[in-house]
Amino acid sequence: MLRVEDLVVEFPAGRGRKVHAVSGVSFDVARGETLGIVGESGCGKSTTARALMQLPRPLSGSVRLDGAELTALGGETLRRTRRRLQMIFQDPISSLNPRRKVRDIVAEGPRLWGLPAAEAEKKVDEMLTAVGLDPGVAAGRRPHEFSGGQCQRICIARALVLEPEVVICDEPVSALDVSVQAQILGLLEDLKERYRLTLVFIAHDLAVVKNVSDRILVMYLGKTCELAPSDALVERPAHPYTRALLASIPGAPVAGAQRYERLTSGEPPSAADPPSGCRFRTRCPRAEARCAAEEPAMRRVGDDQWVACHFPHV
Amino acid sequence: MPRRAALRRLGWGFWASAAWVVLLVLAAALADLLPLHPYDRTLAGPPQSGPSPAHPFGTDGLGRDMLSRVVYGARVSLGVGIGAVLLGLLIGAPFGLVAGYRGRLTDAVIMSVNDIALAFPALVFALAVVAFAGASMRNVLIVLGVLGVPAWTRLIRGATMAFAGREFVTAARALGARDRRILWREIVPNVALPASSYAFIGMAVAVVAEGGLAFLGLSVQPPTPTWGGLINEGRNIMETAPHVVLAPSLVLFVTVLAFNLVGDRLRALTDVREIGLEPGRRRAALPPLPAAEHDVEPALLQVADLRTHFETARGTVRAVDGVSFALNRGRTLAIVGESGSGKSMLIRSILGLLPAAGVRRGGKVYLEGREIGDLEPEDLREILGTRFAAVFQDPMTALNPVRTIGAQVMEPLRVHLKLTRAAARARAADLLASVGIPDPVRMLKRYPHQLSGGMRQRVTIAMALSCDPDVLFADEPTTALDVTVQDQVLRLIHRQREERDMAMVLVSHDLAVVAQWADEVIVMYGGKVVERGPAAALFEHTRMPYTEALLQAIPALSDPSHKRLRVIQGRPPDLAAPPAGCRFQPRCPYARERCASEEPPLVRAETRDHLYACWYPLGTEAAAAEEAEIIEGTESRGR
Repeated sequence: MLRVEDLVVEFPAGRGRKVHAVSGVSFDVARGETLGIVGESGCGKSTTARALMQLPRPLSGSVRLDGAELTALGGETLRRTRRRLQMIFQDPISSLNPRRKVRDIVAEGPRLWGLPAAEAEKKVDEMLTAVGLDPGVAAGRRPHEFSGGQCQRICIARALVLEPEVVICDEPVSALDVSVQAQILGLLEDLKERYRLTLVFIAHDLAVVKNVSDRILVMYLGKTCELAPSDALVERPAHPYTRALLASIPGAPVAGAQRYERLTSGEPPSAADPPSGCRFRTRCPRAEARCAAEEPAMRRVGDDQWVACHFPHV
Repeated sequence: MPRRAALRRLGWGFWASAAWVVLLVLAAALADLLPLHPYDRTLAGPPQSGPSPAHPFGTDGLGRDMLSRVVYGARVSLGVGIGAVLLGLLIGAPFGLVAGYRGRLTDAVIMSVNDIALAFPALVFALAVVAFAGASMRNVLIVLGVLGVPAWTRLIRGATMAFAGREFVTAARALGARDRRILWREIVPNVALPASSYAFIGMAVAVVAEGGLAFLGLSVQPPTPTWGGLINEGRNIMETAPHVVLAPSLVLFVTVLAFNLVGDRLRALTDVREIGLEPGRRRAALPPLPAAEHDVEPALLQVADLRTHFETARGTVRAVDGVSFALNRGRTLAIVGESGSGKSMLIRSILGLLPAAGVRRGGKVYLEGREIGDLEPEDLREILGTRFAAVFQDPMTALNPVRTIGAQVMEPLRVHLKLTRAAARARAADLLASVGIPDPVRMLKRYPHQLSGGMRQRVTIAMALSCDPDVLFADEPTTALDVTVQDQVLRLIHRQREERDMAMVLVSHDLAVVAQWADEVIVMYGGKVVERGPAAALFEHTRMPYTEALLQAIPALSDPSHKRLRVIQGRPPDLAAPPAGCRFQPRCPYARERCASEEPPLVRAETRDHLYACWYPLGTEAAAAEEAEIIEGTESRGR
């Protein structure tokens, strides 16, 4: 459904330097699948999400939606294709225009694509109901009259009203309370079944990602560390970074995680000046000379489990 | 933010000013219809006569009616003021919108031209143009309007940039909106309010500028009256007839003031976000709420029946409503709950960090048996600095961005411990080393923005520990941090608590963090404690359905993917109008009649110190019996 190859995104950082936000990430997502992307702040997961939407376009690499190469599409064709991909953002309040009414926010898509007013209206009501809001009460109000969870429901309605095929969720629940988080996760699962959606679900919380995903991609400093089915990733993590992530989750969430090497100190290096070779090597408990010299390629270590490490735990 | 409240917040000054502007505009527009003397009829009254019923503003040197002349003068002043602003806006706004939205090269080109234009000596330019092209209202209006363009471009560009980066703009592009539609639908409505506020201030500036030009004789020529011209004419006879100068001066002054005030209040409207706890009426300290009877325990920190109520326009918001606990050295008490449960407000109440207006406080806080509420403000400050210390969620708000780390860590050492500069510096370096900061001596010379989030939080922890506090309050200390860094920071706080034999109050929404680090736990819901006890007992033998629901709402790594989480229906209570009886009752699957009529007290479970507030607690005999009764109903229990 969605195939991403060698995605590269860089930003100018002033004085001729560049931030290597995403450096050669590849993955594919099957129709109806949920792919989770997990990683810490600054690992490039949100940049990847926006690059999929071509907002802005990646520096290089390929993003294919159903075989159509998005990076090669020109303005108008891209605009038409983009509606098949929609996005849900982290901050539900900032992603709604404070000066517009909920009805207008959700109806923006149908109106843009020329649906007659009456039909658009019907569609908006239907969508608001689907996300658990009462159209009679909600449609005439403005975003500030709603709680964070309700705003996220409005965002979901806006994204789904155009009947997209792929929905990219960028940290959709990290600004919400746990009880609301459970509501939104449940809602996403319901809507995924109902509208047969393909999801890319990005979050920093591994447990949340695992809850909704079929497969999980672990990112570190703009690179892929590991890509595996959710259960395998949590039960048999092969990359030292995946293991460190599991070890730092409070409590003992999975058997064996207690024994994993945690990261005692240090924080991710700057993406403006990433380490040579493997980017994780500066914090990796297993790092050797080879890790600095040679960048590890993605290789298969198990059933559909891929890892970019010279010395994986297998 | 209800619209009515927003309008009320504008204040009477705004409304008086707006009324003056409206009055002036109407008078100027309808001057021909008003029962005024013609402005140019000489000897309408005795020359230079003071205010009288026939001539409220008196007459000028030629016996012309001053009121009439001031009203007709307003036509020129307001016409130029409003016209110049509209002209400037019309030219400047499109440039500003495009520059702010497009960014990059477009922005660079537009703003470079703009900066050059801004550097022009504006008034000299105006004088030259008007002197050359001829003094007429049209010319003055055009000159002042064009001179305003660079300022408008800059303002609109700034406002546009603030919104162009927001997610709703990205969302509109994802929906397939074209740039023009995004500008028009998403950005312009948001830029309109700051622009309108600036428009009023711009009008004030234009009115003054026109007055200045008129005073120099470079505006509309006599006999048409203008305010500046009137002042100029009156100058010669100021000693015999001061009202001729005073009347137009006063009107000019009040008008400029009114424009500025309207603009300023409108700007305040865009700045302030209401959080719903603003005082309804401004009143100073309210009388405290009565505290329930209680014994003073021999604990390090005791909180008894603490209440914090906000008197707001919506009524009394019971943010903290009768919380009691005691805490000893070497223990960590965690306070958990969702947003709005009152957990952060509880900490602020204990630390006395509440706003002064509109708050009613109640209950007592004891430090080693001594009530701190009775202390003099100075003694209280001493306690807050040395015996209580706090770490908050966002380290950036706790650190001053323009001072070095060293200056900030040394400050409490110098103020409270009266250390010399050298001693404080050495101590600060030790502190930074103790919180795991590499190369602490060099770190002292750096600024907060040069540090990562985790490092900044370590610095605020070092600052909190600097005076060896007895109780450390940590309000969501790791919520803004990454999970690997969170782990390091929590370990650090825990180790420091053990080494220094402190007590710690940890506020968190993350039950996994709490389960790992807390000795005792308080679960808050709607400003009240609903369950409290030793961490192990509380998590293993949960009694209160809300605690259970919270625990089941969290995804666990050990669960298979796509497992449906427990969803708590409904929303947290409105603390201005909490539900009757138990506050969780409207959302509780086990609720029965009694729950809605009687408020459950905190009662003791079998385990020592484990308290809960529920009529039908989970996992008890009573519940089992009750369960047998309702088992035929539609409801089945999770346990």
